[in-house]
Formats: sequence, structure tokens, C-alpha cells
Amino acid sequence: MKSTPYNLVMSALYKGMKGERPPAANPTSVVCHDLMDAVGVSFPEAHTDANAMAELALAGHEIIGFDSVMPEYSVHQEAAALGCEVDWGSRDGMPDSRNFPFEDFSDIPVPDDLLEKPSMRVVLDALSILRRHVGGKAAVIGKVMGPWTLAYHMAGTQNFLLQVGLGETEKVTRMLRQLMPVTIAFARAQFAAGADIVVLADHATGNLVGAYHYQELLLPIHKELTAQIEGPLILHVCGNCLDRLELFADAGFDGYHFEWQVDSRNAVERVGHRLALVGNINNARTLFQGTPEDVRAQVRYAIEAGVDIIAPECAVPLATPLENLKAIIEAVHEGY
Amino acid sequence: MSGRIDQIIDMVVAGRHKEIEGAVRGAIDDNLDLNSIINEGLIGAMDIVGKKFGAGEIFVPEMLVAAVTMKKGLEIVKPLLKGDASKPKGTILMGTVKGDLHDIGKNLVIMMLEGAGFNVVDLGVDLSIEKVVEKVRELKPDALGLSALLTTTLPEMQKVVRMMGEQGLRESVKIMVGGAPVDSTFVEKIGADGYGKDAASAVELAKRLVGAH
Repeated sequence: MKSTPYNLVMSALYKGMKGERPPAANPTSVVCHDLMDAVGVSFPEAHTDANAMAELALAGHEIIGFDSVMPEYSVHQEAAALGCEVDWGSRDGMPDSRNFPFEDFSDIPVPDDLLEKPSMRVVLDALSILRRHVGGKAAVIGKVMGPWTLAYHMAGTQNFLLQVGLGETEKVTRMLRQLMPVTIAFARAQFAAGADIVVLADHATGNLVGAYHYQELLLPIHKELTAQIEGPLILHVCGNCLDRLELFADAGFDGYHFEWQVDSRNAVERVGHRLALVGNINNARTLFQGTPEDVRAQVRYAIEAGVDIIAPECAVPLATPLENLKAIIEAVHEGY
Repeated sequence: MSGRIDQIIDMVVAGRHKEIEGAVRGAIDDNLDLNSIINEGLIGAMDIVGKKFGAGEIFVPEMLVAAVTMKKGLEIVKPLLKGDASKPKGTILMGTVKGDLHDIGKNLVIMMLEGAGFNVVDLGVDLSIEKVVEKVRELKPDALGLSALLTTTLPEMQKVVRMMGEQGLRESVKIMVGGAPVDSTFVEKIGADGYGKDAASAVELAKRLVGAH
């Protein structure tokens, strides 16, 4: 096998042949101020303009050296298409929703032209641009929100979780099922537009809900999603998910993108034979506040533990020094 | 007598929000000390809830329902308090820093602090540094609590602490920070006074900081 960035990522995702070194990919945003300055493209236009979006994604590959490109930096593309008022933020801040249009858990009408809404179209166009530029060279990664995360945006996180706590299972499940088609349609469209892999982010994290909540309310839905979305899917759930790793594998995902709270040795031992593990370089302490040597030590620990694809654990802080992100790449280039 | 308190504790821990009113009224009718109903009963229960949360036995959905239950109980007892018993332990300003709209953690801490007898002013989310400065000047709180969920917004906490210093306000207010990405190393780095790893430890921290203030 040729050890090209694309081959390394795809082979590692399916636990195939090992190349000269482990791949480093970015299932979530690696945009920082240094990177914006280096290419002269900044937030917020990189959320709303396909060329700017693609250009910044490309910089993650060409300037930092990641083996993948991932152009979706916010978690609000679908929310905007479904009627949330999204503030696209600024150079210094990530986008966020200003309202929760379905706080009352009323029916959520999915628009017929969902994929043509500007916040959706921009991602699809950026993926196509990236495909034309680096298709077959670097892995093109798309990203969609799962129904659990979308429900946070529709109803408000606290409100949604309160209903979960009050045992309003029917209400909660109805909302999740109404949102499923959004996730499926966007993921399929991203593959059609040129994505090699799609990250499905669904924040049923151990910092908020229990494994029993996941098992009861979301696992059946995730099983349906993985059955209906044909292409390679990496699940992203932040936080401490040690108590539910097996459930994520049961759901049928091809990979799991995980955070530092989940020790990589533990994760590899328990589910490494069932899905690819992608992660888990600490953002807050290591990438943002640490030194390149701290980063190297964590990368090497993850590689030795058997993590398949090395990546920052989640979207990196905007003030992350570029040299720390480059240290990830240098450390994977040392080989296995 | 303590059976009444135990009953209140059990109801809050189990989140039996529909039954708490009857239990609290029963305790009042039995002439139980109002402070005991609050401190041993309602707040005591939230300590247990906090510990269960810290141990990973329960999660935010259960904690929210427990907090709703506690609040319902408090609303019945508080109007009956007189004199010193109704005097707040101190004033705390709470907010989620700029760029971050996540407020569950902050809201849980607020509910617990209010339960513990603090006067809490909620400054909301996406809080600008200018607003923090203005409110600290205006309300002269004993402590300021800053929350963030996103690792992308951590630097904002540092900016607030620095600005408090520049404005000459740092000596007059204790600064507590919290949220998923915050740890003790970060607290030292930015020069805050302490952090709580969950809502229950945030209350302990507030008692310590404001008590020593």
C-alpha cells in the first residue's frame, strides 16, 4: 500500500494494512487564529461562504499537515436550516443559536428544500470543491449532527434533558424520530457531494446523560441511522463515555472519535476490535496550554495504545498555537 | 420528627416533584424548625444528589428534576423565614463567558447556591467583559462565578480575570470558575480563586471563599 494521506486514513478506518506511519485526521475543526492568518480567511465567512470554507479546510491539510480535510466548523448548519436564528459569530467566537423554536415539543416540519437551505448548501459545495482539489490525495471528511444534538438545538439542552429526567419518553422519542431524516439526508448528500467519510456528532455525553439513557432512547435510533447511511461513519460524542463504548460499537458505527477522558488503552482493549478509534489529544490542557513536547508525548501514548487515527479530541480552541497542532503531525511522522 | 426530614430528602433525591409540597407542608405543620427543613432536608438532599452525580450514579436529567423538586420545596418555606434566617450568606454573580451559550452547569450551580442561602444574580450567557465589570461595580458581589463548556471559550475566563485586575476590582471579589474543560491547572494559570468540578463542590467553594472574605 502506498502511504499517501488518503490511503492511510481509509485503511486505518477499516483496520486494514498499516502504512509507514499512523494517519492524523481532523473529524472536528482544527481552525485557530494562526491558521486563519496564514490563509487570510477568517470566521465568520468560513461558515457561510463555500470557497472560504473550503480554503480554510485545505489549510488544515496543506499548512498543518493533517491527512484529511474537514470544512464544517460549526454545529449549527442543520439548526439554521430548521429555523433556529443562528449567530454566525466572529473571528473570536464560534456560531451559536439564539432561540429554541421547538421548546414546546411541537411537530418539527422538515422543509422539502432542506438541502438547498444556505447553511446546508454551503457545506455540500465546500465538500465538492475539496473533492476537486484533493480527492484521492487527502480524505475528505463531512459532518452531520445526530438527532440528539439537533434536539438540544430545537428544544434547548436543559429543557430537553429535563423532559428526559421527567420520564417523558414518548415526547422525547417523537422529537428524535422527527429529526432522524435530517441526519440521513444531510449525510447522504455529503457523500454524494464528495465526502469519503462523514462524522456523525451526537452529544449524548457522559457529562450530561447516563449510558442507560443512551441505551434506552438513542441506541435504537443510531442503529437505524448506521443501517440507512451507507458510507463510512465516525461517531463523535465528547466527554467521558467510558461507560458506553460497547454501546457505540453495538450501534454499528465504523469509528468513534473520542476525548481524553476516555483512556486510549482502555478504549482499544474494549472496543478496538469492533470499530476504529479516532482521537484523543487533549484540547484544553495539551493543545491549548501545553508545549509541542506535551503534544508529542500524548500522540505517542495514543499510538502505542493502538489508536487507529490520531486527532484532536474535539474542535480546538481558537487561540491554540499552530505549533502545537503541527506537533501532532510531527509525532505521527515518527511512525508506529 | 426526623422522619419528616428523611421523607423530604428521599423525595428530592428521587425527583418526586409532585409530592414535595405535601411533604414540606407536613413538616411545617409538625412545627419542625424551618432552617432544618431547608438545610438538613432540601439542601441536604441536594448534597446527596451532587455526590451521586459526582459518582456517575445519576446524570443531568435526574439532577435537573431533583433541583426542580428542591426549588418547589424552598418556595414554600422561604416566605416563612424571619430575621437573620432570611438574610443571604452573600451575593454571587454568575455567568457563562462570552462566546459560550451553554448554561446548564451554571444553572445547576445557581439553584444549589440559592438553596444554600446565597443571593445569586444570574448574568446569563455569552457575557461580555464590559458587562461583568459594570455589574461587579454596581452590585459589589462577594464572588463572581464564571462558567464555560467549550474549550474554545476558555481564554475568555482569563480575559475576565485580567480585566478585573486592570479595573482595580480584583481584590474586592473572589472569582470561581467551572465547566467541563476547566481544571485546577487552568485555575492557577489564569489566577482565579478556585474551581468546582461539579455543582456540589461549587457550593462548598463558595462557602469557603465567601466565608473567608
